[in-house]
Amino acid sequence: MTIRRYLALTRAGIMESLQFRLGTFVTLLGNLLYIILVYFLWKAIYASAGTESVNGMTFNDTMIYLILATALFNFLEMFVVWDMSRSIQSGKIILDLLKPMGFRGYTFWSYSGSHVIMFFLTFLPTSVVVFIITKGAIPLGLNIIWFVISTVLALIVNFNIEMLVATLCLYTESTWGINIVKETIVLLLSGASIPLAFFPETLSKAVSFMPFRAVYDIPLNILLQKNGTECMSGLLPYLGFQALWAVGLTVLSMVFWNISVRKITVNGG
Amino acid sequence: MTKNKRCLSFYARIYRKILIQDLKSKMSYRADFIISTFGMVLTNIAGFMTFYILFRNFPSINGWDYYHMLFLYGFSLTALTPVQCLFDNNWNLRSMVYSGDFIKYCFRPINVFFYFISEVFDAKGLGQLAFGIGTLVYSWNRIGLPVTPLIILKLVACILTGSLFMIAIMNFAAATCFWIQGSGYVMVIMFRFKDYAKYPASIFSGIFKAVFTFVIPIAFVAYYPSLVILQPENIPLLSLLSPLLGILFFYLSYRFWMLGVRKYDFTGS
Amino acid sequence: MAEHAIEMKDICKDFKVLNRHEGLKGSIRDLFSRDYKTVSAVKDISLTVERGEIIGYLGPNGAGKSTTIKMMTGVLEPTSGSITVNGRIPYKDRKANSENIGVVFGQRSQLWWSLPLIESFKLLRDIYMVPQKDYEDMIELYRSLVDIEPILHKPVRQMSLGQRTLSDILAAFLHDPAIVFLDEPTIGLDVSMKSKIRSLISGLNSEKNTTVILTTHDMGDVDALCKRIVIIDKGMKIYDNDIEHLKSYFGSYRTLKMRIGTDEWEEIVIDEKTTDIMDIIMKKQKEKKIRDIKIEEISTEEVIKKIYEGDAK
Repeated sequence: MTIRRYLALTRAGIMESLQFRLGTFVTLLGNLLYIILVYFLWKAIYASAGTESVNGMTFNDTMIYLILATALFNFLEMFVVWDMSRSIQSGKIILDLLKPMGFRGYTFWSYSGSHVIMFFLTFLPTSVVVFIITKGAIPLGLNIIWFVISTVLALIVNFNIEMLVATLCLYTESTWGINIVKETIVLLLSGASIPLAFFPETLSKAVSFMPFRAVYDIPLNILLQKNGTECMSGLLPYLGFQALWAVGLTVLSMVFWNISVRKITVNGG
Repeated sequence: MTKNKRCLSFYARIYRKILIQDLKSKMSYRADFIISTFGMVLTNIAGFMTFYILFRNFPSINGWDYYHMLFLYGFSLTALTPVQCLFDNNWNLRSMVYSGDFIKYCFRPINVFFYFISEVFDAKGLGQLAFGIGTLVYSWNRIGLPVTPLIILKLVACILTGSLFMIAIMNFAAATCFWIQGSGYVMVIMFRFKDYAKYPASIFSGIFKAVFTFVIPIAFVAYYPSLVILQPENIPLLSLLSPLLGILFFYLSYRFWMLGVRKYDFTGS
Repeated sequence: MAEHAIEMKDICKDFKVLNRHEGLKGSIRDLFSRDYKTVSAVKDISLTVERGEIIGYLGPNGAGKSTTIKMMTGVLEPTSGSITVNGRIPYKDRKANSENIGVVFGQRSQLWWSLPLIESFKLLRDIYMVPQKDYEDMIELYRSLVDIEPILHKPVRQMSLGQRTLSDILAAFLHDPAIVFLDEPTIGLDVSMKSKIRSLISGLNSEKNTTVILTTHDMGDVDALCKRIVIIDKGMKIYDNDIEHLKSYFGSYRTLKMRIGTDEWEEIVIDEKTTDIMDIIMKKQKEKKIRDIKIEEISTEEVIKKIYEGDAK
């Protein structure tokens, strides 16, 4: 059974993450402090604004959105670009290519373990805290199921963006450079640092067609039942948008990867 | 033999030589340099966009208007340049400690911290310096601050003070890897905290004001030192003390780093 | 100057490691566990090394060789026992100690990765404050021992493994240290590079009277360079004497080589005291036709193997 093989990777990933005992606690603490920073900043911003709601977002909305975006960011974070560049430089890439399960699949499933850990370490506790503090601002209903589906799609979109950029490592040694470009674009245009609701109209129009929104903004909107996601007719276009990009980017990154690998095997890397 | 004294001028000479050699070798990776610089410029543009979007929605933060905030922003960018340019090798500490490669720094008759840090000069940080100075000059003009030799001297001293704090934070964060496995996240989160150095520390209250002033002193990276320039008639005590505190904090971080070297048992080989 | 290059008395080194548990549940339990155990890497090793000696420091993987060398270089502090290197206590004054030692550790280059070798040399000259005259003499000496021209202006990252090792060894000798530690200098190198490196080490040793501590798994290195060998296993010293003495230990041992097929040699190590060689040959002859026979003295390789396997008692 092939799924068993993949789940074995997930399990190994979980155990590996737990090996870093103190590191785990530090991660929790660091996140907490980060959320506190965000809280103080936006509290001051809203206090200075003088109005309850700006661009349809109240302080509570913004806070919940940003906190969950951070949690989602930690949960989805991958280091495929760094892994790839390291394995190219050490020559390990050849061994990876020889593995019987395909490089992309192998990478994806290796990360699934750390995703599981990060979900329990960051996203779940953060959500619970937010739920308690805001006294139930996160609706509990069918939206949770839609959120899970949406997050899985976000994971696929994110992974493929990572893979696309990581493939570039086969062409250049400038890992830091391409990684920072990717990170900057994704963080800004996905609405992880500032909610997309605050963007000027032309910019937010442009962003609404890009895949980055599918990573943070859409799952969060679905979880919080904002922007018409509370009814089916509003929800489906969002999920459709994500699914479309998930498929599109998967194909794109797979093609790019296969072409690139053929290129290095021909040229002898 | 009279080779016993290795004084400051010795270190300065060695440092200059290593730096020149490093720059020479960087020139041979031109593509990498261009991509990294592009990435650096892009992060700065993204930073400005975030800033712009924020102020489009909210005209002031905690009594700080657009140009004063811009000044703080430019100040923090400039103060963050040394840590980027000169102390970038801290990012490699963790992997070197794990792989055991770190041991090579312990076989030379010079200071381990110096030897390790001197190895990398990150030229792309200079792009950030340009952004920082540009922003400072622009906002300086708009606010209508005077231009006298004395005030420029003060500005330089204040910026260096801010730099010392950021360098110290990153030294502490990097050195955690001697004790904690999987501490890479500490550096990542500290580096993310620095983005909040550009906001006035007056937004914090209660215990967290103390935390972000004395424990993770991001309030000292830009806010306190810049008050010397922005409010010459009413300088808070902490601003006046900041150079001394900066030196103290840097010294402590250096001792912590060196303690880590001593404590580490080098089993990684 | 101290009398001996290195003096170690009853050195022990313990490490504390966490008791890990198996499985997923174990991993979760380990998060909170305070269950440490002590592992002794080095137990009661005493060792005296004279100036100018080349010592083969041998032992199976994980025997504690690296740990001992790390203590000699001042990177690790022993748990107990006393150690002096060039008359100094290395861990108390690591910087002063490194003034007088050179280290080539494993396959990790200590040179500046992207600099041409000559620039690394110049930096090292400055770091060790080597007078210009001595520096030039040393480079001259290098020239007379190996052909350094092809590598002198090449960045380290573009070198082959052999060139890199060569460069690292040269760099370790540059400041004319009293002791040089070489950890597996010939690992992974081809035959000609190995012999080049061996002759370089022996040349530098005889020219400069440098003490060399050589860790290796390659008995060719030992045969070519070392008069004395020290063997440790499981953290304990199990042999410390001349290499000749070691062979006479196993003086009654012979390697019997028989060619059975067309090009197929079979090797058997035999102790003549207990087994008769003729018996073995007769027995074999009955099974198959023997085409050729050779009887050789036991090789160093075989001797060391026997010792690792615990036959030295």
